[in-house]
Amino acid sequence: MKHELKFTVNGHPYELHIRPKTLLVQVLRDHLGLTGTKRGCSCSSCAACTVLLNGMAVKSCSVLALQAEGAEVLTVEGLARGPELNPLQQAFLDHGAFQCGFCTPGMLMAATALLRETPKPNKDQIREGIDANICRCTGYNSIIRAVTAVANGEYQEAAK
Amino acid sequence: MMKDFEYLAPKTLGDALALLEQHGDDCKVIAGGQSLLILMRQGLVAPAYLIDIKGVPGLATITFDPKEGLKIGALVTHRAIEKSPEIRQRYGVLSEMERRLASIQTRNWGTIGGNLCHADPAGDPAPVLMALGATVTMASTQGPRTVPLEDFVLDYFETAMQHNELLTEIRVPAPAPRTGTVYSKFTVIESELGTVGVAVSITLSPTDRTCGDVRIVLGGAGPRPLRAKQAEDALRGKRITDDLLKDAAERAAAEAQPISDINASADYRREVLKVQVRRMAAEAVSRAERN
Amino acid sequence: MSTYSVIGKRVRRVDGPDKVSGRAKYTFDLVLPEMLYGKILRSPHPHARILSIDTSKAEKLIGVKAVVTGKDTLGRKNGIWRRFPELCDEEILCRTKVRYIGDPVAAVAAVDEDTAEEALDLIDVEYEPLPAVFDPLEAIKEDAPQIHEGVELNINVTRHIEWGDVDEAFKKCDYVREDQFKCSSQAHMAMETHCAVASFGLDGKLTVWTSTQSSYYVQRLLADMVGLREGDIRVIKPATGGGFGGKFELDSPQFCASVLSMKVCKPVKIVLQREEEFTASKRRTPMYCYSRLGAKKDGTLLAKEIRVITEGGAYTGMGATCLYLTGFFSSFPYRYPSYRYDGYRVYTNTAPTSAMRGFGAPQSTFVSEGQLDMLAADLGIDPVQIRRLNGMVPNHEVPGQATVQSCGLPECLDSIDQHLRQRGKLPPDHGIGIAAYGFMSGGIFNWFDTPYAFSAAIVRVNIDGKVDLFTGACDIGQGSDTTLSMICAEELGVALEDIRIHAADTGICPVDLGAWGSRQTLMTGNAVKMAAADAKRQLLEFAAAKLGANIVYDLDIKDRHVHLVDRPEKGFSYYDIVKQAIRGKDGEAIIGRGHYTPHRKGMVSPAYSFGVQAVEVAVDRETGRYKLLNVTTAHESGTVINPVGIEGQLEGAIMMAGGYGFCEDQPMDDGRILNPSIAEYKLIRSLDMPETKILEIDTYEPEGPFGAKEAGEGLTNPTAAALGNAIHKAVGVRINSLPITPEKVFRALQDQKQ
Ligand SMILES: Cc1cc2nc3c(=O)[nH]c(=O)nc-3n(C[C@H](O)[C@H](O)[C@H](O)COP(=O)(O)OP(=O)(O)OC[C@H]3O[C@@H](n4cnc5c(N)ncnc54)[C@H](O)[C@@H]3O)c2cc1C
Ligand code: FES
Ligand code: FES
Repeated sequence: MKHELKFTVNGHPYELHIRPKTLLVQVLRDHLGLTGTKRGCSCSSCAACTVLLNGMAVKSCSVLALQAEGAEVLTVEGLARGPELNPLQQAFLDHGAFQCGFCTPGMLMAATALLRETPKPNKDQIREGIDANICRCTGYNSIIRAVTAVANGEYQEAAK
Repeated sequence: MMKDFEYLAPKTLGDALALLEQHGDDCKVIAGGQSLLILMRQGLVAPAYLIDIKGVPGLATITFDPKEGLKIGALVTHRAIEKSPEIRQRYGVLSEMERRLASIQTRNWGTIGGNLCHADPAGDPAPVLMALGATVTMASTQGPRTVPLEDFVLDYFETAMQHNELLTEIRVPAPAPRTGTVYSKFTVIESELGTVGVAVSITLSPTDRTCGDVRIVLGGAGPRPLRAKQAEDALRGKRITDDLLKDAAERAAAEAQPISDINASADYRREVLKVQVRRMAAEAVSRAERN
Repeated sequence: MSTYSVIGKRVRRVDGPDKVSGRAKYTFDLVLPEMLYGKILRSPHPHARILSIDTSKAEKLIGVKAVVTGKDTLGRKNGIWRRFPELCDEEILCRTKVRYIGDPVAAVAAVDEDTAEEALDLIDVEYEPLPAVFDPLEAIKEDAPQIHEGVELNINVTRHIEWGDVDEAFKKCDYVREDQFKCSSQAHMAMETHCAVASFGLDGKLTVWTSTQSSYYVQRLLADMVGLREGDIRVIKPATGGGFGGKFELDSPQFCASVLSMKVCKPVKIVLQREEEFTASKRRTPMYCYSRLGAKKDGTLLAKEIRVITEGGAYTGMGATCLYLTGFFSSFPYRYPSYRYDGYRVYTNTAPTSAMRGFGAPQSTFVSEGQLDMLAADLGIDPVQIRRLNGMVPNHEVPGQATVQSCGLPECLDSIDQHLRQRGKLPPDHGIGIAAYGFMSGGIFNWFDTPYAFSAAIVRVNIDGKVDLFTGACDIGQGSDTTLSMICAEELGVALEDIRIHAADTGICPVDLGAWGSRQTLMTGNAVKMAAADAKRQLLEFAAAKLGANIVYDLDIKDRHVHLVDRPEKGFSYYDIVKQAIRGKDGEAIIGRGHYTPHRKGMVSPAYSFGVQAVEVAVDRETGRYKLLNVTTAHESGTVINPVGIEGQLEGAIMMAGGYGFCEDQPMDDGRILNPSIAEYKLIRSLDMPETKILEIDTYEPEGPFGAKEAGEGLTNPTAAALGNAIHKAVGVRINSLPITPEKVFRALQDQKQ
C-alpha cells in the first residue's frame, strides 16, 4: 500500500515510502524531522505550513505528498547557509517581524516566494504576498517593514 | 481523520478515464486537492481510490484564438490564469477575479477545473465565466461533450458531471467589441469567500449607450450562481441611464435567493446585491465604452 | 537621568536566530522515544448527565494503550482561584455531568493520532440530556436550569465597587445619560494550539512540556489534581506559540496527557485540533452592560453607575478576576468623584469564558469611551477636551482601590490632539474616533494563594564573565526573555550577549507567576534587577579595596568596566574582577538572588500605563462596509526597555483589538459555536491591517525596573472603542454592540434615513 516518493528538500535528495494519504507537511515534519514548518489549522486557512514547491509558495498541509514526486521543496530550514542567516531572516530579526515565531517559518517562505517573483514589491504587493499567513502576534506591519528593507537592498552585504 | 486509499496516478487522459470507468463510485479525482483534502480530512469524503490527475499531460494549457476564443485546460492553476498575459489583455476580468480568489498559496496549486467541479455557491470563477458565456467540456470513455457552464453547475456542491467523466476544458468566446465585463465580491475582510458576488457583462451598440447583449450573474445568492434574467431584460435594448441601472439592480436583488448565515442575513445580502449590481453594471458600461 | 547601555536600544531578540531559522522547538514539535499520542473525547451536549461510559471497545483497538475517564482521576475540582474553593469547579474529565459542548469526558493514548481518533469513536457514552441555558439573562431567572449544584440563580461571582455618594452626585448633575451595550466573545487564536507532552517515570516523577503562560501554575494545579507533590512535577515551557490569556490555567491536554502517562508510564502528547481550540478552550467574556453617566454642563464628570452581567460559560477559570477588572477599568482613566459598579458573572451552558488580553478592560473601555463621546457630543464639548478635563493625573488615588503614581495621560491627550489637528479636514464619510485607556502592570491580589514571592530570579556569574539568568517568567512571544536579559545586562554592566536566560522550567528556575496581567516587565524585571544588583555587589566588594573606594556604593560596572562612579576612567576590567571574586570565594560562582512581591500599592496593581488612541475609518454608506485606515497611538509605559518589543505589542494589539471591534465573533446556536475554524472565524490579515503609528510619551514609574511599566495588554483596550467612535464621526451612527459589522452599520444608516 505504501508508495515511493522521490524528491529533494533543501537540496537533499530523499527516497521514502509513504502511505498515499500522507500530506506534504507530514512528510516534512514527521518523516524528515523538519519541524520548522508549522501547522496552525486543519482547513488550509492559516498558511503556517507554507513551503516552496518548485519555487511556488504552497500550503504543505494541502498538498498530497505524492504530488511532490520529483519536485524541489524548500523549507525554512533551507534558508540559512550554515550559521549565516539570509537577508530576509536578518531583516526579520532587526525589525521585530516575529514574536512567538509560530507563523514565522510560513511567513518567511511566503515572503521568499514574493521576493523571487517581485524583487521590488511595493507595500500593497507585500500585503498581498503574505495575506494568507495569519500572525496573531505582530500585526503584520513589522513584517512588511522587514520585507521592504530587503527589497530596498539594505541587506545586500549579508547576501554575499 | 483521513482514511487510507489506493493512489492511482494515470499518465494519460485515456488512462484516467479508464480508471474512472473502472472504479465508479469508489473513486474520487484529485487535481490540486485544495478543496478535496479538507473534505477528506474531515472524513466527509472517503474514497477507496484516489485518481490523481494533476500529472495528466495536455490539460494545463491556455490558448487564445480570435475565432474560437479562449481555451483553458481544466488543470490550469488559478495563479496561471491570473498571470497569463493573454488573459490579462483580453479577459482582464478573469485575472482580476483570480487575484482576489483565496490566497497565492491556494492559487498556486488549485485548479480552475477543481474549482468549478467543487461547485461552491460562493465560488468566484463560475459567475465570471457565466457572464462571459463560457462552456465546459467533459470527457469520458464514451467521448467528449460540451455544455454551457450555466447547465453544468446545478446546486450546492453539485454539477452535471457523471461519475465517469472528467472536466477537461473551459472555453470562453472571444469578446464582442464594445463589451465590458466586471466582477466584484463583497467581503468583510479582504480575502475570504464572498458574502455575495456580482458579475456583469454588457455589450453596447456600436454607436451609443444602448445595451445589447447583457449577462448579470449573482454569486452567493442561492444554491448556485444565478442569472438575474429579469434584470438583464430590463437593460437589454435600452439606453443606459442611472435610473435604468437602479431599476435593474432592484430586480436582480428581488430575483436573488440568498440565505441567512453567520456572515450575513438574507435581507442584507439582497441589499448589498442591489448596490453591487448597480455599481458593477455602471462599471461594465464604462469599460464597454473604452473597448 | 543616566544613559543606558542596553536598555532602550533596538536589539535583536535573544530567541530570534532560532525562530527565524525554524530551529525553535515548540511543544508542538516535541517527539520523545516511545511517545504515544492522545486525544480527548468531548461532550456533544451543552448540558447532560453522564449515565455510563463504556470504553471496552476502544481499549481493544489495536494500537490503543490507555483509555481514561473521570473514574481514573481523583475526582478533584480544578480552579485557579485556589483561595476560594467554591470557585474551583472544573473536573476537566467530567464524572457525572457535562456542562458545555466540548466538556471532556474521556481521553485515549495510542501509538499514533489516527488510532487515537478512531478509538474515540469506539467509546460509548450514554447521556441524559438536561435542559440547558445559554444566555446569562435567561440563566439568572428563577426557573432556569441549575448548572452547578448549590449555585442559586447560576450566579457564579458578584462584584461591587463603590465610592462617593453616587445617588447624591447624580442629583447634582446637569446632564445624565443611560445606555446599554453588548460586548461579544473573542477567541485567543494563538497560532500554537494548546498542547502538552507528559512523561511519568518509574521513579514516580512527572515531567510536562507544555505551551503555557505559567509553568508554575501548571505545576501547582497538576499537583492538586493528580495527587503528586509539587516537587515531583517538573513543568517545562519550550518555545511557545502565543497565549493571549488563554494558556495560564491548567488545561485539558496538560491534565489528560498527565493522567494517561501516569497510567502507562510512557510519554503522551496531546495537541488540540484547531476546531477543539475554538470550541473547548476558554475565550473572551461576553457581557451585557448598563451604564449611567452624569456630568456638569462644562463636562466635569460627577457620577457613574455601571451594571454588568457577564456570560461565564460552564466554569469559573479566571472569570472572577475578569469581573473585578471590568468594574475597576470602567472607571478608567478618569477621576470620578462617585462611582458604583455591580458585576454578576453567570454560569451558562457555553464554553467557559476567562482571561483574554485586556482582561475585561477592552469591554469596559468600549462601553465607557463610547458613552463618554456621546455625552461630550450632547454637551457640545470636544472629545479631547472632556478627557483632559476628567482624566487621571500623576499620584491619583482611586478611592479604596488603587494608587496611580506615574501617569502620562495629559501628555498623551496633547499628542493625539496635535495628531487630529494635523489630519485636518477629512474626506466625506471618513472619521477619526479616539479612546483613552489605562492598564495595570500585574496584579496584587493573591487569589492563587501562593506562598512564594510573585517573581524571583537568580543570576549566576561564571568564571568567564558569562551570566546565567534563571527565572520562572514565560516568554510566550511577547519577548520577556529579551527584556529580562536586557534588564540583567544593564544592571550588571555587561553586554546583552553575555546573558544566557533559562526560563520557565520549574525544575531549575525560581517561581514566577508567569505571563499574565502584563506583569513580567515590572514584577519579574524588578526581581531580575535585584538579583543582578546582588551579584554585582558581590563583585564590587572585591573591587572596592583595590580602587580605594570608601564603600562599594561608590562603584559601578558599565560596559564590562568596573569603576568609581565619580571617576569612570579609574577602574579595570569586569572579567578580572569576576575571576578574582570567584577565586576568592573558594571557587564558587557568584550567585545573586532577587524577588519581588508588590506591597502597599492598593489591591490592584503596583503601576498603571496610559494612552490615547485615534482610529481613522472610511465608510461606504450604501453597504455599511468600512475600512480601518490608520491607527495612531500616544502611549506611555514608563521607561522603554525594549522599543522593538513595544512596537510589536502595539501593532499586534491593534490586529487583535481591531479585530474585536471589526470582525471577530463567536456566534452560537444552542451553545454550539458556529464558526469553529479559521476559514470561518474572521481575523484581520495583512490586507486589512491599518497603518499604525506610535507616539511614545516619556514617563518614569518609580515602582518599575529602571522606571518601566506595562506595555502589553493595555494596548488592546482602546481600539474597539475608538473604532465605534470613528464610525460615529464618519457617518453619524452609533453601534453599541460588538463587533461592529458592516450589516449593523448598514441597518443603523437605514434607521438614520427614516
Ligand atoms: C483557504 C481557501 C480559500 C478559498 N477561497 C476561495 C475563493 O475565495 N473563491 C473561490 O472561488 N474558491 C476559493 N477556494 C476554493 C478553491 O480555490 C478551489 O475550490 C480549488 O482551487 C479547487 O481546485 P483543486 O484543483 O484544488 O480541486 P480539488 O480539491 O482537487 O478538487 C475539487 C473537486 O473537484 C473534483 N475535480 C477536480 N478536478 C476535476 C476534473 N478535472 N474533473 C472532474 N472532477 C474534478 C474533485 O474530485 C473534487 O471533488 C478556497 C479554498 C481554500 C482552501
Ligand atoms: S496548517 Fe493552516 S494552512 Fe496549512
Ligand atoms: S509571531 Fe506569533 S503568530 Fe506570528
